[in-house]
Amino acid sequence: MNLAATAGNPDWGLIAVLFVCIVTLIVGSLGLRLSRTTSDFYVAGRSVTAGWNASAIGGEYLSAASFLGVAGIVYSLGTEMLWLPVGYTIGYLVLLVLVAAPLRRSGAYTIPDFAEARLQSRPIRLVSSLLVVGIGWLYLLPQFQGAGLALATVTGAPPATGSLVVATVVLANVAAGGMRSITLVQAVQYWLKLAAIAIPAFVLLWLWLRQGQPLPTVSQPGGPFAGAGIGFQPREHPVYATYSTILALCFGTMGLPHVLVRFYTNPDGRAARRTTVIVVGLLGVFYLFPPIFGMLGRTYLPTLPDGTRSDSVVLLLPSAMSPGTLGDILSAVLAGGAFAAFLSTASGLTVSVAGVIDQDLLSGRLNRRSGGDLPRTHSFRLATLVAIAIPYAASWLTPSVSLADTVGMAFAVAASTFCPLLVLGVWWRRLSVTGALAGLAVGGISAIGASVATVVGIGGSTGRGWIGSLLAQPAALTVPLAFITAILVSLATPGSVPKNAARLLVRLHAPEEVTTGRHTDT
Amino acid sequence: MSDPNDISEERAARYLEVQNSQEFAELRKKFRGFVFPMTGAFLAWYFLYVVLATYATDFMSQHVWGNITIGLILGLLQFVTTFAITMYYARWADRVFDPAAEKLAEHMERGNLQ
Repeated sequence: MNLAATAGNPDWGLIAVLFVCIVTLIVGSLGLRLSRTTSDFYVAGRSVTAGWNASAIGGEYLSAASFLGVAGIVYSLGTEMLWLPVGYTIGYLVLLVLVAAPLRRSGAYTIPDFAEARLQSRPIRLVSSLLVVGIGWLYLLPQFQGAGLALATVTGAPPATGSLVVATVVLANVAAGGMRSITLVQAVQYWLKLAAIAIPAFVLLWLWLRQGQPLPTVSQPGGPFAGAGIGFQPREHPVYATYSTILALCFGTMGLPHVLVRFYTNPDGRAARRTTVIVVGLLGVFYLFPPIFGMLGRTYLPTLPDGTRSDSVVLLLPSAMSPGTLGDILSAVLAGGAFAAFLSTASGLTVSVAGVIDQDLLSGRLNRRSGGDLPRTHSFRLATLVAIAIPYAASWLTPSVSLADTVGMAFAVAASTFCPLLVLGVWWRRLSVTGALAGLAVGGISAIGASVATVVGIGGSTGRGWIGSLLAQPAALTVPLAFITAILVSLATPGSVPKNAARLLVRLHAPEEVTTGRHTDT
Repeated sequence: MSDPNDISEERAARYLEVQNSQEFAELRKKFRGFVFPMTGAFLAWYFLYVVLATYATDFMSQHVWGNITIGLILGLLQFVTTFAITMYYARWADRVFDPAAEKLAEHMERGNLQ
């Protein structure tokens, strides 16, 4: 990443970033004191209220792509791109309506748990676990890169520094606190992030009104804004790219490792619904602000300095509008908010990925070697290290893909693998083990393959031509492909439909009170 | 966490009875009758916006007042509708679906499923 521009006063930016990191660590250790038992360590003791839970979901979900990427895209392509932030929230609606309640009734709290319970198959569990890890890593990668970008933009530090700071804080927090502290941290992060983007947005809007500068054409027909920096690919096949992205967002959210786990911490269906309503509201309010930076950026930053990514518009805008102390303070606040975004999303993902690595890949092996006397938390800590180290190492590769696009790939992979598994698993009795495995394999290999090809930049022409467009936004092809494969193979292998599928489906769809609640267990 | 495999024969029989009852069928019909049209309408409205933003750029960049364009207004309306629909669904589930499910549960307990 080559960064020519620096925003604001480096010292102020550094102070803001340090402040966010320290607050995160303090809140995390407070949470640690509250959690005593091992079960607390893993699922937050299920004692989280709807408001806290919703804040935590929002805090975890608003990532680098939301904080920096949305503004970058609106700056580059205009207000027509407002569908993107809307798309980021729609996934919750789809999740709520299609799978949330039945999944909670299944009693499983991760996707591998659900896959194993529904299909009675260890191989399915293992494949799901590997996919959780893959999707998590794909989503962690842009968080580390965004952190590098943000710290470099505000302080001029080399990009690797920001990634290292985020990786270290997340490692310390997750390894020490587990889920309970993370729930608290996440909830605080949401409000921190909202304040960090809303207050500067209001100040800048006020400045803009006072300075009497016009807004440039907010929507610009015929291509990207002239000043769009690198890291943003204008779409060559906009309709295909747009629909494919939307498909990935709608159906990918339910398959993200850090999203579903929060729904299990709701005590019942009503609370889960209330939580989702609050989540959609919180996300909607937040997403009103990044486009303001994108639009104002078009007036005040007609061109970005050479080698600057348009993702850094949010951080560069204050100094461009008000050089001096005010600009420095606002830049620092925004840098702190951006760091909050990296920390919270990376923490949530790390908890989920580490949980899966621990449970399915490490624990058994370690226990066999040590004779079973190794404390559970030790292997979780080792898993946390693995969960962070690999995407951190990968973040050293410098991609030519924007933050929002890399995150989009994680959504695409989730939509092509877990969405068919969850939706068919919840609604279709004849899903067979072989069919589910085939669906996961076809969807996973095609979507991951396309993402890797795009990130690595095959042929140096990422996103160019039809092939490039298909590889950059694979969901429109790979999601239907995965569904069709799972359905056809299931129909061809009725022998491998689990025997108790019918009973399990009744259990998933019967109202909670009937199957688990107060009426029957007397 | 309860183990989903732990379903005794007696319980299983009870689930099947519930699934076969007319009341349960009506409950599911109620769910589909509400959720499917609502989701369809919302997706249509959302996709319409995307099509307009891609093809009808001239229409979308028409100024309504000052720098406020049609595209900007429609974009902001997307936020509002997403939240409104989520609210609407949650209220419907609380007011219509949950009471119906509750009634079903009561009937099942007393053994007088309809």
